Amino acid sequence: MHYLILGNCAAGLNGIEGIRSIDKKGEITLISAEPYPAYARCLITNFLIGTHSEEDLYLREKDFYQKNGVKVLQGKKAVKIFPQEKKVEIDDGKKIPYDALLIATGASPKTLRVKGEEKEGVFGFRTLEDARQIAKRAEKAEKALVFGGGLIGLKAGYALKKKGLAVEVIVKSPRILSRVVEENSSRLIARWLQEKGIKIRTGLAPREILGDKEMKGVILDNGEEVKAQIAIVGKGVSPNLSFAEESGINIHWGIVVDNYLRTNFQEIFAAGDVAETKDLVTGEHTINALWLAAQEQGRTAGINMAGGEKVYPGSIGANAAEFFGLPFISMGCVQARNGEIIKEKKAEKKFVYRRLVFKDGRLTGAVLVGEVEAAGIYMALIRKKDRVENLADELLEGWVDYGKFEKILEGKKGFRETITPDGRLIKLP
Amino acid sequence: MKRIFVDEERCLGCRSCEIACAIKHSSSHKLEKAIQEQPLPISRIRVRKDEENAIPLQCRHCPEPCCVYACIAGGIRKDEKTGLVVFEEKKCVRCYSCVMVCPFAAIKLGEEEQPAVKCDLCQEEEIPPCVRACPTGALFFGQAEEFQELMEKRKKRGKKNALLNIG
Ligand SMILES: Cc1cc2nc3c(=O)[nH]c(=O)nc-3n(C[C@H](O)[C@H](O)[C@H](O)COP(=O)(O)OP(=O)(O)OC[C@H]3O[C@@H](n4cnc5c(N)ncnc54)[C@H](O)[C@@H]3O)c2cc1C
Repeated sequence: MHYLILGNCAAGLNGIEGIRSIDKKGEITLISAEPYPAYARCLITNFLIGTHSEEDLYLREKDFYQKNGVKVLQGKKAVKIFPQEKKVEIDDGKKIPYDALLIATGASPKTLRVKGEEKEGVFGFRTLEDARQIAKRAEKAEKALVFGGGLIGLKAGYALKKKGLAVEVIVKSPRILSRVVEENSSRLIARWLQEKGIKIRTGLAPREILGDKEMKGVILDNGEEVKAQIAIVGKGVSPNLSFAEESGINIHWGIVVDNYLRTNFQEIFAAGDVAETKDLVTGEHTINALWLAAQEQGRTAGINMAGGEKVYPGSIGANAAEFFGLPFISMGCVQARNGEIIKEKKAEKKFVYRRLVFKDGRLTGAVLVGEVEAAGIYMALIRKKDRVENLADELLEGWVDYGKFEKILEGKKGFRETITPDGRLIKLP
Repeated sequence: MKRIFVDEERCLGCRSCEIACAIKHSSSHKLEKAIQEQPLPISRIRVRKDEENAIPLQCRHCPEPCCVYACIAGGIRKDEKTGLVVFEEKKCVRCYSCVMVCPFAAIKLGEEEQPAVKCDLCQEEEIPPCVRACPTGALFFGQAEEFQELMEKRKKRGKKNALLNIG
């Protein structure tokens, strides 16, 4: 049995471990475009701030690949898949055969599509190399602009602020984090960031990047000129799947997979930011490009590639972050779109906000700002899809009192049970 | 594996377990000094209480832990040998992803630079201090079957006298 894995981050790494949890012997080959062992992509923020070194970001021990019998083709890229031949062509022209293939190639930042974007100083924020280049340039820069109000852009802006630069976030939509949280939380978080010195301007977008070889500033779509030496493009990501485009593999937003993370080809699987799975809350097919999803999917795909039969229950849009000491968490559906009932609790002065979203008596979403410790209880309820309408008010108070929570978990007395990532209740061994 | 189990009928909500845990996880290991430490030591066990009921909550060391997948720093793992869910505290970047998924709200974050913490089952102790500190026998440390047996024994003895028949 020869397993081939494309991509060496959350999904690929967990794919290896999933395979090895079942098949200790089969051959594994890993094609890794980036020239490092798997690293914590989300922590390039900390690398940029300077609190973490490259080695601090490595996700496994040095001998991980060797111990797991994985042959790593470092710095190589898959360029084409031939499903009929069961082969993948890589960028040095070689064709590698496989019995089972995992596509875990992740995603790349979308570009701005404005004039001057190619100038030095304009960055995406996705890789260790991006962070390294930004850090280098930040040494001699005074001001950075962030285009886009999503989490990645804000994280980059936060890191640069921590490094002492002036930071301005420029968002076309009327508010930041518009795809992560609802209006109230968005307003609260924006106010907090502004108080900490990050400037946020809405309803604006860049029209042109100014400068010669290096960027010196930008012209906004209202005609205004802003000086800056760094621009971070935080416009979201798109999946890396060009190598699969003519292969006959089903592609919609991403590579479409079923509940086993399998594509329309029996022996080809996909996981992580490149994969389009069922959303646990909406039931619709979507890409939840998240670390948690990538790890769970990678693991599940690996198990199934090795002959296991693990069902993936679907991904859930869920984000957690902390900026300047203010934590917030959002999960599931956060808006009332289709008959959802909203319960909320505010303490604006203290930067505390809590919102729960119910649909047909079930919890389908939650947003917590400031006080977030009970978040996991909400997550469990969303995943288990229990009816909780009679508990709505108590849930909103931040905690379900244990007795009722226990009933929700259907657990026996004494918490002898626990819930698995896919929402099953199991006995503690 | 040995775990902490709870007979919640016996929990009075006295929080002795919380204090014992915080002292155990302080740098001085002494109450009078621990309360002056900066930052204050954090208890890994949390007593939830309302008018009628109380229960101590702590990490269950789940067989399939949600937190392991969530940690963006690769700082949480399930130790196959001991069964423990291990937090490598120095890796924590306070992203709250583990808090987001723990069904028992068993993870705590302290002030500013402090890492997320949770029950580590006090490996170097024969019996975890929280269990030792419990005055009513509501906390039990051992195998699941042992706890099962104990509970059956207690059931036979009857609920009414639960608190009088400690042990
Ligand atoms: C700064 C930052 C912060 C983040 N914070 C969070 C967070 O707090 N919470 C959260 O849930 N998510 C967060 N994310 C998102 C998270 O990092 C991704 O969801 C996750 O990395 C996806 O993992 P993956 O393995 O699917 O893909 P990726 O991490 O994108 O890895 C794919 C790998 O495949 C390689 N590759 C691409 N094409 C090829 C090819 N043709 N051949 C071979 N290799 C190829 C890539 O170079 C890359 O190394 C963050 C991301 C960033 C950038």
